[in-house]
Amino acid sequence: MTILDWLKRKSGLDIAADQYRYGEDPVLGYTSMRKHADGWVNSTCGYCSVGCGMQLGVRDGHVVSVRGNPDHPVNQGKLCPKGLAEHYAIESEGRARFPLLRKQGELTRVGWDEAISVFVERFRAVQAKFGAESVGVISTGQLVTEEFYALGKLVQLGLGTRNYDGNTTLCMSTAVAGYKRSFGSDGPPGAYEDLELADVILLIGANVAENHPILCSRLEANRSRTLIVADPRVTKTAMMADLYLPVKPRSDLALVNAMIRVVIAENFCDMDFVERYTSGFDELRASVEPYTLEYAAEITGLAPDLIHKTALLYGNARSAFIGWTMGVNHSTKGTETVNAINNLALITGNIGRAGAAPFSITGQCNAMGTRETGFTSGLPGYRKFESENDRRYLAGIWNVPVERIPTKRGLAYPDIIEAAVAGKIRALWIIGTNPLVSFPNIDVLKQALGNLDFLVVQDGFHPTPTTELADLVLPAAIWGEKEGTYTNSERRVSKVNAAVAPQGQARSDFDIFMAIAEKLGCREELFPGWAGPADAFDEWRRVSAGQLCDYSGMTYAALEANSGIQWPFPAGSSLNPAASTRLYGDGRFATENGRANLLPTAWAPFPEQPNKEFPLVLNTGRTVEHWHTRTKTGGIPILQRMSPRAWLEMNPHDANRLGLRPHDRVEVVSARGRVSNVELRITEIVAPGQVFLPFHFVETNANQITQSAFDPVSREPNYKQCAVRVERSTHVRS
Amino acid sequence: MELPLLERARNGDDAFPLAIDAGDGQMASFCGAGMGVELPAPPGPGEQYRFHFDMTKCIGCKCCVVACNEQNGNPAAIQWRRVGEIEGGVYPNAIRHYLSMGCNHCLEPTCLTGCPVDAYTKDGVTGIVRHSADACIGCQYCTWNCSYGVPQYNPERGVVGKCDMCYGRLTQGQLPACANACPEGAIRIETVHTTAWRREYGVKANSPGMPSADDSLSTTRISLPARLTPDVRKVDINRLHLEHPHWPLVVMTVLTQLSVGAFTSIWLLEVLSARPHRAAAIVALLVAMLALAASTLHLGRPLHAVRALKMWRRSWLSREVLLFTLFAITAQGYSAALWMGIKQSAFLGSLTVLFGLCGVGASARLYLVPGRPAWKSPFTILEFYLTAMLLGSAGANVLYGASSWATPTMVTAVAAVFAGGIAKMIWLARSHQHERRGTFTLLVTDLSNLLTARILLLFAGLLLLALAPAGQKEITISIAAVFICSEFVGRYLFFVSVVPTNMAAEYLHAEAA
Repeated sequence: MTILDWLKRKSGLDIAADQYRYGEDPVLGYTSMRKHADGWVNSTCGYCSVGCGMQLGVRDGHVVSVRGNPDHPVNQGKLCPKGLAEHYAIESEGRARFPLLRKQGELTRVGWDEAISVFVERFRAVQAKFGAESVGVISTGQLVTEEFYALGKLVQLGLGTRNYDGNTTLCMSTAVAGYKRSFGSDGPPGAYEDLELADVILLIGANVAENHPILCSRLEANRSRTLIVADPRVTKTAMMADLYLPVKPRSDLALVNAMIRVVIAENFCDMDFVERYTSGFDELRASVEPYTLEYAAEITGLAPDLIHKTALLYGNARSAFIGWTMGVNHSTKGTETVNAINNLALITGNIGRAGAAPFSITGQCNAMGTRETGFTSGLPGYRKFESENDRRYLAGIWNVPVERIPTKRGLAYPDIIEAAVAGKIRALWIIGTNPLVSFPNIDVLKQALGNLDFLVVQDGFHPTPTTELADLVLPAAIWGEKEGTYTNSERRVSKVNAAVAPQGQARSDFDIFMAIAEKLGCREELFPGWAGPADAFDEWRRVSAGQLCDYSGMTYAALEANSGIQWPFPAGSSLNPAASTRLYGDGRFATENGRANLLPTAWAPFPEQPNKEFPLVLNTGRTVEHWHTRTKTGGIPILQRMSPRAWLEMNPHDANRLGLRPHDRVEVVSARGRVSNVELRITEIVAPGQVFLPFHFVETNANQITQSAFDPVSREPNYKQCAVRVERSTHVRS
Repeated sequence: MELPLLERARNGDDAFPLAIDAGDGQMASFCGAGMGVELPAPPGPGEQYRFHFDMTKCIGCKCCVVACNEQNGNPAAIQWRRVGEIEGGVYPNAIRHYLSMGCNHCLEPTCLTGCPVDAYTKDGVTGIVRHSADACIGCQYCTWNCSYGVPQYNPERGVVGKCDMCYGRLTQGQLPACANACPEGAIRIETVHTTAWRREYGVKANSPGMPSADDSLSTTRISLPARLTPDVRKVDINRLHLEHPHWPLVVMTVLTQLSVGAFTSIWLLEVLSARPHRAAAIVALLVAMLALAASTLHLGRPLHAVRALKMWRRSWLSREVLLFTLFAITAQGYSAALWMGIKQSAFLGSLTVLFGLCGVGASARLYLVPGRPAWKSPFTILEFYLTAMLLGSAGANVLYGASSWATPTMVTAVAAVFAGGIAKMIWLARSHQHERRGTFTLLVTDLSNLLTARILLLFAGLLLLALAPAGQKEITISIAAVFICSEFVGRYLFFVSVVPTNMAAEYLHAEAA
């Protein structure tokens, strides 16, 4: 700015009128001219798994605006606040723009050739010294399906390690494990449309109003529904409920078992369905016998009548829908709770029909994609390591000897970290995730990463707490800069497109994987002739053929034309690609005998009960403005402005006892560590004896105090409950 | 019957089309897709557009806030639409709801009536309260006058801006950005008959967490949930922070009052004691000039300061500017007359004093605004005149040398300042309005040191007065300096301790992004 410009501005001659000019845009209507685009690119939102259709407005190589795609069946033109501001993520200051290699302790800019060479040399050197499985890979739910598919082959067949898992183990593996045990396969059986068609909707540990706001319009549109919300905290979603169940923390399993007992005892079962399509009913009935209303009331803190009423509402429903998210999954009893939910749906025949489903609402934009194609807890296409047929089939498609395909899974995410602590994993490749904020009991993770000989972090953002520890940072393209597909919670596969070139020297994860394969010398073998994601998609379609997640009838063009298609969509399918579909409508499940399993489950108290030293139960969760560890949303001014920092919710009863006042700064202390200088919110939305802390903020990282306790089946952490005490901060920073 | 608004629209004086063609192409079809949100027919005679906010549907997602900022290209710190939270009840029967608010397009917009430059208009057809950035001089008076905090100053531009219900979109048959973005259909546009609304607004425009709709007759209709306990209130109610000190205004008000007080003393001495002083008026005049120069620094567009005279028939700010301008002109004449020893100077002096005292009155009166409850009382007027009395007599005391009249005047003024101050603190502490109690809390907590300093300065002045050997120049200057400091501290406290009325906000105070 020249002095003359400055004078003009300060004197008031210049009021930046050009910058604030409005005009008519053919797509946006009358808006600020800064938002006007020359062209629009259809894509899918890159935040959560609702999978909203979006359009990105591009002018002069920049994404200047976004809007919801009015023709997309998921969101019909609407977006949540994160989506409405998503274009700011692309050019945000915190993007990783150049490969960085640690030299003399400092991350130093290097070229891609050097970065890839060092990557391969160091990984091969570690493997040569400590064995092939001494290297681990932790990926994400943020990549496109084509990249997940390519990465699985690259890691398992190219790099040659089974110790590969995704951060989806921190959120969705419980639902996966539960579905596999009950139905023989992963795959949410319902569709969003069910929220509009069900007459009873039970949400357990799911704050959709905060976390999946675009689904709320479906609840709003369903005028005849009874919405029941079970949550220990009076969430935004609880406020929408017709019946709110203020359950004690982690008592949901007892609630569901008591409901099953009532449903069986009072003959609300669909015995025809049970007899034809399920097995294990007698064992289930015996297993719920202890869950009398009184016993469940004692555990859940609900009145016996309220539990009874809930069971009757569910049992009487023509079509009943159960939705859940992290309240269920983030638990050492998570898998069993999912099985209990599935049991309840199965015995009442509430599955495979319009409005009826036990439905896991997924987290990340493409957690589903990695579940389908992943080569982590299963083989691609929901195939099983243990099945020789599956291994032979894949070996045939891939043209590799069947012996190359592992016969069982490697270590899960928390076990990779344990192995690094023990010195068994010596090099780690972290892709698209920020464990320094998201992994429980962060000190253990820090120890693990400190033990490594080599840490590579591939991410769209730098610096993040995790990239700062890396020996090598590989800058990746993000949403808006690359092509592929995402699958949303209702199994809808939607196209993702590049609107602009990646920032700086960043490359798409797909290109990075191909470059690594090239250097490893396995590109031609594993990815013959692959030039882009479309080639991966083509092979993936063949791999998925005949499986529950059958893509074989899909093409990129068809996905574009229909704004996404739900799987299964086999080649030659007579299904209307635009119609909502459900799984298991024919009563045939993906188990060996085709019957769904009714599985006995048992409630147990959460692992770390409050005690004299740590008398409060800590609950963690989210706020609508932010996404996960804020690498993406923390750099977006409007979101950061609306939600600038963390807070701790505490009931007035506890605050009075502790002599604390609103807006005091407090410390939250557990046996493992402390979170300092959090602003206190004294509120009746949490119960006495409980406190709530959002987990997005590295500055006040909830995972300083969470514990290392994991579900025995899914390996998902028990983030939601641990014992803490709260004390006033002595050194107040404002 | 005469229908001037309709007439105006028909004559094409207004951009708003009488018949909106909602069927022209895709735009109208995707607006509010799936939610059945549509734009109603344009308002007829006696009607206007208004927002309807349905609290029962709002889930507090803040899509409207982001959409509004995208629509208007505003930086994150400026939000023409905001979302706040209200809460009450006892766990598990806790109650939490959200308020979303743009501009309420009031029937009696206080932003408009206070504006010194006529930057606001109430659109004849739609009733939308529109603001012209071109006309605005950035005085920010509207930001105090609106009890909802709707107009917001944009320092990047030097002017204020506000929600205009997306007037430009409405003229094209498009929904406002907020209504278009709301996934729950909680924000809609309706037409309202203004006469009927005057009867109904008390019930339909008020809500917990909102300032009273009485201030300006808000037209926004708010649908409240059936279950709202009386203890439901804004979640940010305990969050107090200091307001902007407005340094140019601190300087301007204290110095104009000093100058007016000094001229009053000079004139009284001339008339009553026949003690004309050649140079005294020059000093007082310089102070006045300094004050008026400082006042323009408060403007976002100081070059256009002269426009502030425009609305003297309606705006107290215009009146203040007009009266102080007349004061400055007559003061120059009076000073010149005294300097040259012209006999009829007393007449000019009387005019100077008249304009000056009226100017101080207008200056005080303009702070009596709906959006700043702690200012809205006769205490403000008393305080401003007492500052003139105290500093005027202290100033004249320096110029003329200590005299018998000055000490009692100053002691009286200080006594009145104390009495008024104590009465005001009691009034603030016992107020039913939480904003006034908040001002009290700020004064006795965060600002207690400064408040103590002001009291000590006043005592120090009294002490010096008691000890002062008559006529010693150093002492009289010290006394004046101590009192000037005291009044600067007092005025600073006046500006920073005020707690504005506003819609409920979020629990956490927003920081600069």
